[in-house]
Amino acid sequence: MTTNTLGRRTLLGTSAASLLSLRAQAQAATRLRLYWWGGVERAERTNKTSELYMKAHPSITVAGETVGWGDYWTRMATQAAGRNLPDVLQMDYGYIFEYARRGALLPLDAHVGKELDLSGFDAASVDGGRVDGKIYGVSLGLNSTSIVYDRETFNALGLARLSWPVTWEDFAKRMTEATKALKRDGIWGSTDAGGSGPALEVWLRGRGREMYTTEGKFGATAADMADWFAYWAEMRATNACVPPDVQALDKLDVDTSVLTLGKALVGFANSNQLVGYQAVNKKKLDLAMYPAAKTDQKSGQYLKPSQMLSIAATTKNKDEAVKLLSFFVADTEAGKLLGVERGIPASKKVREVIAPSLDAMATRMSSYIAEISDKVSPLPPPPPRGAGEVLTLLLRTNETVGFKRATPAAAGAQFVREATDIISRG
Amino acid sequence: MAKRRRIPAGYLFLLPWFVGFFGLTLGPALTSLYLSFTNYDLIQSPGWVGLANYVRILTADSKVAESIHVTLLYVVLSVPLKLGSALAIAMILNRGLRGLPLYRALFYLPSLLGASVAIATLWRQVFSGDGLLNRILLLFGIHGPSWVSDPDTAIYTLVALSVWQFGSPMIIFLAGLRQLPRDIYEAAALDGAPPAYQFWRITIPLLTPVIFFNLVVQTIEAFKAFTPAFIISGGTGGPINATLFYTLYLYQEAFGYLRMGYAAALAWLLVIAIAAVTALAFLSARRWVHYEA
Repeated sequence: MTTNTLGRRTLLGTSAASLLSLRAQAQAATRLRLYWWGGVERAERTNKTSELYMKAHPSITVAGETVGWGDYWTRMATQAAGRNLPDVLQMDYGYIFEYARRGALLPLDAHVGKELDLSGFDAASVDGGRVDGKIYGVSLGLNSTSIVYDRETFNALGLARLSWPVTWEDFAKRMTEATKALKRDGIWGSTDAGGSGPALEVWLRGRGREMYTTEGKFGATAADMADWFAYWAEMRATNACVPPDVQALDKLDVDTSVLTLGKALVGFANSNQLVGYQAVNKKKLDLAMYPAAKTDQKSGQYLKPSQMLSIAATTKNKDEAVKLLSFFVADTEAGKLLGVERGIPASKKVREVIAPSLDAMATRMSSYIAEISDKVSPLPPPPPRGAGEVLTLLLRTNETVGFKRATPAAAGAQFVREATDIISRG
Repeated sequence: MAKRRRIPAGYLFLLPWFVGFFGLTLGPALTSLYLSFTNYDLIQSPGWVGLANYVRILTADSKVAESIHVTLLYVVLSVPLKLGSALAIAMILNRGLRGLPLYRALFYLPSLLGASVAIATLWRQVFSGDGLLNRILLLFGIHGPSWVSDPDTAIYTLVALSVWQFGSPMIIFLAGLRQLPRDIYEAAALDGAPPAYQFWRITIPLLTPVIFFNLVVQTIEAFKAFTPAFIISGGTGGPINATLFYTLYLYQEAFGYLRMGYAAALAWLLVIAIAAVTALAFLSARRWVHYEA
């Protein structure tokens, strides 16, 4: 009994003391919250960069918060609802329009040249963070879509590398050959990318269409979509890609992808993910461009910010938050710590400083971006509200065809109907 | 005088409960009722849309029908199977086994673990294409499908997961069985009633209050099931919405697509549905639940 009371009192005393010291700290320093998604590697690099900033700015405390991609947007939405968004937050190209147009993000134009240093950025990189003409996000790194494939096994089986340009038709044939050459049950040439939004987008752009028009409408016709679903139905029928029950386990992330699970040699991904994929794959991986519609035209791929930093509109320390953001995207010392883990830095100055210190994987990512930059198309029009839901719809519709619940033609018509409905609802 | 003075003290002791009830249950519930009539998107202020959410749910949303179908299938399959296995195990344990507390704990264990993320992840492994189940089946020369990712079988893996967690109804059945009067069984045995007859004519009728309790609790639980489907399908309700529980759809709308107002309306319809089913159960109870032997 006595010990209990003592224990409780001590506990109360300690927490009161720590509360007091917290208050003291808060009064002395401006506290900025920084929020990002990613793995352990990214957390280490980001925290080191924050510490460097705090050393140089003793009046600032940077409190880092991080979760995985899967929980990131849920938590962000919840914090937005509580008017409690972190001051500086990592933003994705697919979400920036939703958040900016709902007024959750701070337009940064007034800070450019003052707190925000964009001097080393080319125009295209800056434009990647614009919504309706205003800058809401600043690129943390440049990337593009990319095939990630098991080059070691490709070499061992005597299969030709996937070097640009490979047409979609040719890709299908070569994947069937790959499956044959593997001579093993339970492993196929390609991932089933019929449910992948980025793959569909590149394919559509090869046909001269956009996923979303400049007016924010869904850009493909029922016939386009029917052809797309038919292409993947044919891929499955010819054993070029994994069957639907294998693909259904793929949660579209590095750890559960059929490439990582050893079910396929080829995955559809993003170039900055090479580091992440290689970390969980034993075989030597390489990057290649997505297949093309024709060999004599540009790819539908485009360079985009792999992720951005944005400022919450509700921040109480606008100038300080923008300064921290600027440090992450434009400071050469920060660049050395961050490396190319988030993609190739958009600032030319930073790129030049870090180039000598890159390892093999990082160098390959850089050279990939350099190789493709004259083959890619400009940024597509921004995705409208509801674009995220259309991705879920695509995944499900491809499954419907995969499990033979609908013909490609019926699925194509159904898809366009539902996608149009989703976007009109916003 | 003395009595009356105690009343405020009583309320004082109840205060923590009141704070919890009004602050954490009633307040949010009323807020969500209000939100169900708005287009709240978590970021902007909610705007009044009247009955629009409810109208869309009831007339224009095909996913609602799909998710109700999935949920009802789950409830109708998992509740009877779970109660059946709980009763069967409880009867075996009631035979006066040595080490009963140990067995009781062992059988209860899955219920403690069942709702957790780890178990749902394990389930995904066991029932995947090259998972444990198919490896066992292979010993008998059977090539099983990938149970969790085939739209025909995915829902049954979730039912199996639910049935496996029969622990808590089992404990309640066991307590009920122990209270049954022995003399009735002795009399029945003397009259030559076979065990099956004793089960259907004595055990079941005497146990109906306990069965009823378990039925209501488990049905409500089944309607509210979320975690297993969320983990096993990676939050998508796939393949092809085969595991899109109503609760999962509600979650997707709220946090995935930022339609909190719409999700609040979905939630209130779920509350009404559960209340209606529970009311039906109570009405029917008059016909089949016997409270006094």
